[in-house]
Amino acid sequence: MPDVDAIVVGAGPAGAAAALELARAGRSVYLLERGPFPGSKNMYGGVVYGRILDTLVPGWWDEAPVQRWVTRRATMIMTGHQALTVDFRTESWGRPPYNGATAYRPDFDAWLAGKATDAGAVLVTSTTATGLLRDGDRVVGVRTDRPDGDLTADVVIACDGVNSFLAKEAGLYPHTDPANFTVGVKETIALPREVIDERFGVRGDHGVDYEIVGCTGDVPGGGFLYTNTDTLSVGLVLSLPALAAGGTRPEELLRRMKEHPAIAPLVEGGEVKEYSAHVIPEAGYDMMPELSCDGMLVAGDAAAMCLAAGIWLEGVNFAIGSGAAAGRAAARALQRGDTSNEGLAGYRSRLESSFVLADHRKLRDAPHLVMSDLAQRQLPGLACGVAERMFRVDNPEPKPGLRRILRQELKRNGVKVRDVVSHSLRALRTFG
Amino acid sequence: MQVAACVKWVDLRPEVDRVHGTVRSVGGPGGAGWGISEADRAAVEVALQLGAVWSAPVAVVCAGPVGAEPVLRELLAAGVDRVVRVDTGADQPSHAAAVELAAVLSAGQLGADVVVCGDHSADRGSGTVPAFLAHHLGAAQALGLVRVEPVAGGRVRAVRRLDGGRREVLEAAVPMVLSVEGSVAELRRAPLAATLASGGREVEVRPGRPAHHVEPPRTRPWRPPPRVVPAPAGDHALDRVVQLTGALVERNPPRTVELAPAAAAREILDQLRTWGYLGADGE
Amino acid sequence: MSAGTYPEISFEARMGSVEFRIDEDRAHITVDDTKCRDCSTRGCITACPANLFVPTADGGILFNYEQCFECGTCYLVCNREGAITWTYPEGGHGVVFHRT
Ligand SMILES: Cc1cc2nc3c(=O)[nH]c(=O)nc-3n(C[C@H](O)[C@H](O)[C@H](O)COP(=O)(O)OP(=O)(O)OC[C@H]3O[C@@H](n4cnc5c(N)ncnc54)[C@H](O)[C@@H]3O)c2cc1C
Ligand code: SF4
Ligand code: SF4
Repeated sequence: MPDVDAIVVGAGPAGAAAALELARAGRSVYLLERGPFPGSKNMYGGVVYGRILDTLVPGWWDEAPVQRWVTRRATMIMTGHQALTVDFRTESWGRPPYNGATAYRPDFDAWLAGKATDAGAVLVTSTTATGLLRDGDRVVGVRTDRPDGDLTADVVIACDGVNSFLAKEAGLYPHTDPANFTVGVKETIALPREVIDERFGVRGDHGVDYEIVGCTGDVPGGGFLYTNTDTLSVGLVLSLPALAAGGTRPEELLRRMKEHPAIAPLVEGGEVKEYSAHVIPEAGYDMMPELSCDGMLVAGDAAAMCLAAGIWLEGVNFAIGSGAAAGRAAARALQRGDTSNEGLAGYRSRLESSFVLADHRKLRDAPHLVMSDLAQRQLPGLACGVAERMFRVDNPEPKPGLRRILRQELKRNGVKVRDVVSHSLRALRTFG
Repeated sequence: MQVAACVKWVDLRPEVDRVHGTVRSVGGPGGAGWGISEADRAAVEVALQLGAVWSAPVAVVCAGPVGAEPVLRELLAAGVDRVVRVDTGADQPSHAAAVELAAVLSAGQLGADVVVCGDHSADRGSGTVPAFLAHHLGAAQALGLVRVEPVAGGRVRAVRRLDGGRREVLEAAVPMVLSVEGSVAELRRAPLAATLASGGREVEVRPGRPAHHVEPPRTRPWRPPPRVVPAPAGDHALDRVVQLTGALVERNPPRTVELAPAAAAREILDQLRTWGYLGADGE
Repeated sequence: MSAGTYPEISFEARMGSVEFRIDEDRAHITVDDTKCRDCSTRGCITACPANLFVPTADGGILFNYEQCFECGTCYLVCNREGAITWTYPEGGHGVVFHRT
């Protein structure tokens, strides 16, 4: 007899959602977390998109530990001294059912794991799963680093994040090519609440979300800036191979972005309260592992279900979606008494029909497009150059026509129309 | 024999105002970063070791709110026999907490012969709770220890850190209160089965004293008693200001003396008397 | 504020803003720097966000595990099999985030 019906490894959003669904289905479940509390090991940019919670935790917006509701979303394209911003705001994101919210992960993850324990899951913190227990090819439990730490179960759900050693050990996850990953660094910068309200033009519990392209110098990547109640989250997402190839160090790139004339007035005078770093599975659909084997499922970042490309920086919602699907599929399999790979196949089909895999399949090319030199350097230069020429008043010279500006700027930025067209077509196929 | 450890539930990484030195909890009391300090964990480990050598049961006492219980259950999993929580708020002043703890530790209740505490808590605590406890329990005290070794018959040999890198070796016997630094020992890891079972184990709860018994916190900083300074004399405002501030008056430069502890204490008392902070009889 | 005058904190202060519950008994990451001597890329040095890989004059690498984010960057970029042995710290130890 195994010790418990199910073991979920990792109390991040994926693990908490999986444990919640299993506990609700009446299954005994242990939720293992290596940190001293859920969320203690986790960092991200800063915005949770809550739609996925509507069914899982109805009325979540009244109780989730939210910093600010995002009512302004801006994309900034910058060169060394220019910035072009598309800035959208809607008050409707500032009232139920809301859209995105800034939150601190140690608060948010602990809250979501609390939902699982309320439903009956047993949370075991400060406990690292160090390996899998197997019976032949079948996963029958995990080994932990506590004395007498072996634990057996009918099904194990690996929600152990981007480095997932469990998925690797099970042979599900062969990818360790650095090209599939980016590393995120961020500063949490304290500013008085009123100063944030004023600088970002928001009131009350409304907040702002900036995604930034062209701010990472010699390393492909992107930047972000989010408002919390009385701090800002300012950070970069950087390509690993370029960093490793002797690129500028992360904190120096971050310093430069903070000095950019478009960013400096927003962050100046703030005090750095916390620095943090974490790796992101960047390559999306194409790097996704097998999602199950006999006795085990993989969800969240452990299955590379994270969308980090340009104006998207999403993962918590995919983690919750895939974790919940894994929990439900495991509960069904337990009920039928078959937790073999076939018995667990319901997981993949659930994901295929939900936004989790649909979005990822659709956007499978997005990471390559966004990380390309064209998108990283040439297009920002082009866009900012055209805008500057359009807005500049040159009289008594007559105003140049847009076509002429475009031609000149294409040339100045070394952009070939052919590349832009093919890029746009791919982008249209991907995003359209 | 009964061995006990006292632990405080605190914010392990509070925010300290750089200008005023005030300590503030980032997430408010009970946030995710709350727990028990390295030194308190070491105290529990020392208690467990003493309990093992003397075949004595080990209890842990904590004065704090219900939010502390998950952390206290981890101690049960690590091998503590019973845990008592005195139901109080999280931010009690040291002397009030000591009264609560002493009531539970005293002969009438636990009857603890040895009490081990951490030397001071993570939220810039003053480290005075163990001394208050020793006072209330009428026990010997050995505080700020960097090593504790049990010797036979309810005695310990301990090493204490003194100023200037010196060490003091002392021996204490029951009843005694010890306080230890975090480096003394690392709390053992609880086995998995005990950790899983700990959720169902009981934390005994004793009511704390009603809040109105707790002294209100001091609202102004403490200052030495004022001395009467005569009004400055002088015809010009400048003279009076110079006289008032003592800017041009010769003054005694600060002194540094190196003396044996007893002589140093005498020297300090003499100096305080000279300045008028103490009466001639040292009161 | 113009470029260059932003008061940037030192790297030590930056890392001082992070809580690490250090496991004194075991290094969760170790570097066998005999493998590093003929490494041409040395990607770890620029990529590690905690700046824990320090090149030594004799071509080796000096590594200290204590202020590590446990992010995984180093083993992902390292191109010498076996140079880095990477595990998580014992449960409850290592980095603890609060406002991330
Ligand atoms: C810089 C950056 C910015 C991001 N920005 C956003 C954003 O703005 N919005 C968004 O939605 N997403 C964002 N993401 C993505 C998002 O953070 C992840 O996709 C999401 O956290 C994945 O959740 P998860 O539960 O799968 O994994 P994680 O959140 O990584 O959780 C894994 C958990 O497992 C635990 N664990 C790991 N191994 C073990 C083990 N062996 N034993 C026990 N426990 C273990 C860990 O401690 C952790 O708690 C960002 C990510 C990064 C790095
Ligand atoms: S990349 Fe690997 S092999 Fe090269 S120096 Fe760094 S640790 Fe050594
Ligand atoms: S895991 Fe990350 S922080 Fe730690 S040594 Fe490796 S690269 Fe540096």
